[in-house]
Amino acid sequence: MNEMTSYLIGLTLVTAGVTFLLRAFPFLVFGAAKKPPELIRYLGEVVSPAAIAMLAVYCYWAYFKARPFSAAYGWNLPEIISGLLVIGLHLWKRNALLSIIPGVILYMFLVQKVFP
Amino acid sequence: MFTRKVLKSAWLSSLPVLMGYLTMGFAAGVLFAGRIRITAVGFWAFLTSATSISGALQFLMSGWAQDHTPLLDVALLTFCLNLRYAMYGFSLLERFRNIPWHQKLYLIWSLTDETYALEVENKTPAGENSIAYCLAVAFFDHLYWVIGVTAGALFGSGIRFDNRGIDFAMTALFLVILTDQCREKRNRIPALTGLFATVACGLVFSLGNVLIPSMVLMLALLLLLRGKLAKKEAAS
Repeated sequence: MNEMTSYLIGLTLVTAGVTFLLRAFPFLVFGAAKKPPELIRYLGEVVSPAAIAMLAVYCYWAYFKARPFSAAYGWNLPEIISGLLVIGLHLWKRNALLSIIPGVILYMFLVQKVFP
Repeated sequence: MFTRKVLKSAWLSSLPVLMGYLTMGFAAGVLFAGRIRITAVGFWAFLTSATSISGALQFLMSGWAQDHTPLLDVALLTFCLNLRYAMYGFSLLERFRNIPWHQKLYLIWSLTDETYALEVENKTPAGENSIAYCLAVAFFDHLYWVIGVTAGALFGSGIRFDNRGIDFAMTALFLVILTDQCREKRNRIPALTGLFATVACGLVFSLGNVLIPSMVLMLALLLLLRGKLAKKEAAS
């Protein structure tokens, strides 16, 4: 068994296991209660937007390191313009796919053809 | 229990999910095959998508497998990303109370954002079994996601095409979710907290090590803000 195979087995078990336990949480712990405890409810509400913001920043951080600010990479304009297109379309149309697909196509075009 | 009528209504309800899961699954699968050099990448795409059924997680997995990110980090990130799932079951406890354990197990395992929304909406036809409806909706959504991811991985590994930039699908997905969340006022300060924590830690830690300290700082700040934010929530 090579290294990648053993890593993927571990990855599958950990991601599926943690996700399943989270989904099962209300059924496991509060079989009788109808409402979540206050702290859990609070964290469940606020962690989601915070984690998504964290991951969005992280994606941009990764781009800025992989394609450092310079003329060769178009001063990071591909990431910025495509991101603004996605947000703009989503504010306007509120349809996830109509926001994501044009953004990805524009980004792929910019990094492949304009600033390769 | 699975009458034609209940299956048909479940299938109709699941149609809006079809396009989204196939498309996003496909992009996640292409990225998976592009980053992971292994034979039978289609099998791994199938296995990971069928067991975790989680959109953003599927995108992140490609990078983790490429970098061999420590599994403890993977567990923590999965926890934060999917903590919202721990809330969903509360509104379904009553309905799922006295059903056979294997049905309950599948309904829990398959509980995604979209499936949860359809189960809460509950368009079971009159006189039909609502558990059969939920099981069928969950199964259809599950199927769309697995097909999307597996097809994307097979396409990405089988056909040589220039896929540079496809990773932006993950960034775009986060931007879309964030935009939706920030429409609601009560989510804005938590989102800013996550943003601040990540930028602050990004200035100190290297890229590969930034997420865990960001998450710790984010959780600490959210707990500190609890009194203030909980009051706001109650008011709104």
